[in-house]
Amino acid sequence: MTRMKVNDVLGSLGLGILAILVVVAIFAPQIAPYDPHHTYKRMERPSSEHLLGTNDIGNDILSEVIYGTRVSLFIAFMVSITAITIGTSLGLIAGYSGGVAEFMIMRIVDIFLTIPRLVLIIVIAAFMPRSIWNLIAVFIIFGWVMTARIVRSEVLTLRNQYYVESARMLGGSNLYILWRHILPNVIPLVVVQFIMEAGHVIVAEAGLSFLGLGDPVARSWGTTFHYAFECPTLYTSDVWMWWMLPPGLCIVATVLGFTFVGYALEERLNPKLKTVVGMEI
Amino acid sequence: MNLINKLAYYLVIILIILSINFFLPRAMPGDQLAYLIGENPDMPTRMTDEEREVLLAHYGLDKPLSEQYLDYLVGISRGDLGWSIYRSAPVLEVILVRLKWTMLLTGTSTVIYLLLGIFLGAESAWARGNKKDTWSLISILTVSSLPVFFLGILLKIFFGAELDIFPLDGAKTTCASYANPLEGVLDILHHLVLPAATLVIAHIGGTYLLMRNSMLSVLGADYILSARAKGLSERYILNRHAIKNALLPIVTMAALMVGFMITGTIFVEKVFTYPGIGLLLYDSVMCRDYPLLQGLFLIIAISVVIANFIADMTYIWLDPRVREE
Repeated sequence: MTRMKVNDVLGSLGLGILAILVVVAIFAPQIAPYDPHHTYKRMERPSSEHLLGTNDIGNDILSEVIYGTRVSLFIAFMVSITAITIGTSLGLIAGYSGGVAEFMIMRIVDIFLTIPRLVLIIVIAAFMPRSIWNLIAVFIIFGWVMTARIVRSEVLTLRNQYYVESARMLGGSNLYILWRHILPNVIPLVVVQFIMEAGHVIVAEAGLSFLGLGDPVARSWGTTFHYAFECPTLYTSDVWMWWMLPPGLCIVATVLGFTFVGYALEERLNPKLKTVVGMEI
Repeated sequence: MNLINKLAYYLVIILIILSINFFLPRAMPGDQLAYLIGENPDMPTRMTDEEREVLLAHYGLDKPLSEQYLDYLVGISRGDLGWSIYRSAPVLEVILVRLKWTMLLTGTSTVIYLLLGIFLGAESAWARGNKKDTWSLISILTVSSLPVFFLGILLKIFFGAELDIFPLDGAKTTCASYANPLEGVLDILHHLVLPAATLVIAHIGGTYLLMRNSMLSVLGADYILSARAKGLSERYILNRHAIKNALLPIVTMAALMVGFMITGTIFVEKVFTYPGIGLLLYDSVMCRDYPLLQGLFLIIAISVVIANFIADMTYIWLDPRVREE
């Protein structure tokens, strides 16, 4: 197989996974067999009625996982879109204006990159009431950093290009140059960052929820996983197969989906990487 | 000059971490006193105004903010991280008791994943394009994409519960009496296998990929060509010329990985109920033991900063080009 083909295969596979998940998330009420908050008999084994059985308080696990897609993807999307917008804006400002603004932004970036991110997120989340909005807010605080750094270094090379200088010479305002000449050139990088950040948030959110810091009502995959892990008979019965494996596999599939799409995009948008990574299959 | 700059930079970061730790609970919507006494917001503690006054005075919360901040910094410099009401002990003491287990776990895993990642990465790059390279690349990347807690539980269920060859929980058998010290060591190692394996598998991908890339660029260098022209054996070139020079980026990464390692440890210790500071952090979140939580954050964050500093120094020491600048 040639490299191009591998890329296409991985990229389409990733896109396929993500497309399925988005459809499941949007049409959760139509797809899910039951209301995830309705209670039935507790700790049922899988049967034709409850394909993945029921949990410790009698919710249908399949419906819970299907609705969990909504929560997990919603958090990932909200965090990524906001964090990437903030990161891109700050990166553009830092790279284009230079001076004090650049110094301040880049020092903050350095500090954020040195402090262990997830530990501080856990500490902040512990002080807040458990809700998805608080989770989203905490992830945004730390999500913009890498994007700002990458966008800034790209802008640094772009702003000295001849076409930018000519635009400036012809009297283009700073805002016009940023919008028309610089932003379109950093968009490919930003798209890749968006995908990477979304995959990262999926794992981080699942981790935080696994530790019991997730929203107990709007249950993400991580929250379902958390309650399954607390089940006392987890190691003496095969309850883990239908309670723990499905949300776990959903998390893995989503992360792989984002990774594949991100990888395929990066290879295509940034040909320089090919020689460095050289993933010959 | 470089050294002094770096040192100043890291001192500033430590001061910022200390400040975050101080201002975080004060910036939160809740009552600062409620955090200190570990109050459950659903069940507010009932106390009279006089009792409240006494408590506020005890914690110095009646003083102006600037004075509280100074007191806090002075306290930290004396090793006073506060008092955990929940455990009725000084925070620093509670942490120090647990720290040795985390150091054992992270230390062992770090050594293994670095060595293994370097070895596999070098081998993979050496055999680039071959089936061996392709398959190790695919399998390592796939396994590393598993979230660390999921990986841990899978290992625990498979090797701990189904096959029953490793213990499920803890760092040693509870209430065990050992005939000789060796038996105790073996017991601890037996308990260490699964948690350490989880951390190694979760972290090996980064080292492997970096080493592979670094080797690929080194293998294209002119001095490898001249070594080959001299008629040196391939093994000799790999071990003496290529690996040594490809190792440099690993040093920088190893420091960055300290942060990831600690994050991973929190999950692994929770999954295996391993009695280190990661489990302590989880417990302190669950019982709203905020003084302990903040003490842990401080210790972890400062350790990571120190690791970064050490990596920077090692880098300067290893690479003469950086030293010259």
